[in-house]
Amino acid sequence: MQLKSGIKRTFLSLLCIFSMFMSVTAQISDSTKVYKKRVLENTEVDFLMSLYKQDGVHSPVNGGIGTEKLSDQTGAIVISIPLNADDVLTVDAGISAYTSASSSNINPFMNSTAIPLKSLYTGIKGLNASGASSGSGGSTGGGSTGGGGPVTPQNAINPVGTPWLASTGASHAEKLKSLSADYNHSSGDRNLIWGSNISLSSEFTYTSFGFGGNVTKLYNEKNTEIGLKGSVFLDKWKSIYPTELKEYLRIGPDFQYFGYFYGVTILDQGGNASLTYLPDGFKPWSNTGRDSYSMSFYVSQILSKRFQAALFFDFVLQQGMLSTPYHRIYFADKPNYYIGTASDIVHYTSPSNSGVYQLADAIETLPKSRFKIPLGIRMNYYINEMFVLRSYYRYYYDDWGLKAHTVNLDLPVKLSQAFTFTPSFRFYSQNQVNYFGPYETHLSTENYFTSDYDLSKFSSTQYSLALSYTDIFTKFKIKTLGLKNINLKYSHYDRTDGLNANILTLGIKFVGGEK
Amino acid sequence: MKKKIFTLMLVMILFSSCVAVKEYKKIYLNDPDMKLSAHQNERFESNFQVYREGASGANGGKTGGGCGCN
Repeated sequence: MQLKSGIKRTFLSLLCIFSMFMSVTAQISDSTKVYKKRVLENTEVDFLMSLYKQDGVHSPVNGGIGTEKLSDQTGAIVISIPLNADDVLTVDAGISAYTSASSSNINPFMNSTAIPLKSLYTGIKGLNASGASSGSGGSTGGGSTGGGGPVTPQNAINPVGTPWLASTGASHAEKLKSLSADYNHSSGDRNLIWGSNISLSSEFTYTSFGFGGNVTKLYNEKNTEIGLKGSVFLDKWKSIYPTELKEYLRIGPDFQYFGYFYGVTILDQGGNASLTYLPDGFKPWSNTGRDSYSMSFYVSQILSKRFQAALFFDFVLQQGMLSTPYHRIYFADKPNYYIGTASDIVHYTSPSNSGVYQLADAIETLPKSRFKIPLGIRMNYYINEMFVLRSYYRYYYDDWGLKAHTVNLDLPVKLSQAFTFTPSFRFYSQNQVNYFGPYETHLSTENYFTSDYDLSKFSSTQYSLALSYTDIFTKFKIKTLGLKNINLKYSHYDRTDGLNANILTLGIKFVGGEK
Repeated sequence: MKKKIFTLMLVMILFSSCVAVKEYKKIYLNDPDMKLSAHQNERFESNFQVYREGASGANGGKTGGGCGCN
């Protein structure tokens, strides 16, 4: 812990020293006015979009089983503006709209005609309209014998849910908005570049604020480049817990008699009505902040007229709430409880389960600190006028016990001056983190637990095809903007645990008219 | 781990001993496909890989921020 706070202090000090050093150096080197080419001749505008779809069978929201269907549409615009001969400002704004079956099951409970459970309870005696699922806080009843009272066949409402289908919960469809700005200054001889950046993003469960600085020095007739970049991200979770745990937190041990679960029959493993479900292993987070501090080093070198390479080192320290608060955990040493159709309990883990959902014992709990060291190398070789070989390898290590290898190969084929076709292959493999366990394997005596298969042992392959078009003379114009290039890419991704994904991306770059 | 860092340091030293290529001879190196970074629209791919995999970073891109929770 002391070591990590030392790393953090060192990181912040280095960031300050470099910022001051670079401002002074830039002023000195810019004091002699000579003719120089502008760093960026004209404004550049990038229109970017992506369509992403995935499916899988290990949703962490359902404790490591169930549908992971997700679709996402993202659009972004990146504008780079030359402020003068030396300075460039880049503004990047994006919006992403997604539907996620997995996170819809934060509240998986619906009645048989797919009406969210919340609406069933509006107006029921003992529960006001701002009750349970509105998150307004406060109990809706008195003691354990008040309000709705114990479950009886007369007042029981039997909602259904299943890990294998999307619910209609509030988190079913959401948006992620992001905005960032980068400023970069180049020295008169263009051998020194320094800059700073700021970023903001916000989504249903999370907000992020980031800032940082970077410096790059070129040597050896611009054949060698050394870069250093420091970043800080100050993020915040919203306290969104699985519905049954939220109710337990809101009302206490009597939560089965009031609020959201009033009148609902809870079943035990044998399918019998039970009043003994008590998720006392659940502990809410008191501090929902997540801070990330990173220092990235970069060295690139021209090795010949056709060959260049770069090395990347990152040191990343994350602190705070590194778990996801709505990832359910089911302990092997705790009895199981369900809501829904009793006959579906025997095949709960099979996709044929269409009507029963297991109530959580706890939420994912991971250490409050993680230190990551990824090392990467990129090597590009210009084979001839038709082929270029691009390669990338990364080794990753962190103190949660995760080690990973990534290999990526691209082979751009120049079909003509304007068109390039690029097939790509990517292979990735990782072992599992120390705290991972599949569905129903963790014990309540453990300190840390997750059933998120993104942290399990697996390997993945990705095949891609890209087509790019370059309009050398920017002949096609929209008002003052001329088309520079279009890049279309399709990728198919397969993970050995059954997850697969497809992504289509499009990038269109325009440049502004001559100044 | 130490061995890997040592190997990378050695590669860096070897890099710095290379002969400089003059600006006017950089025609191949200036080809857009020779850039030592990814295309702009490939950042979406990097995003989903960061979400779906435990490892991230060391590619000249973003090193933190966001929950990766969907």
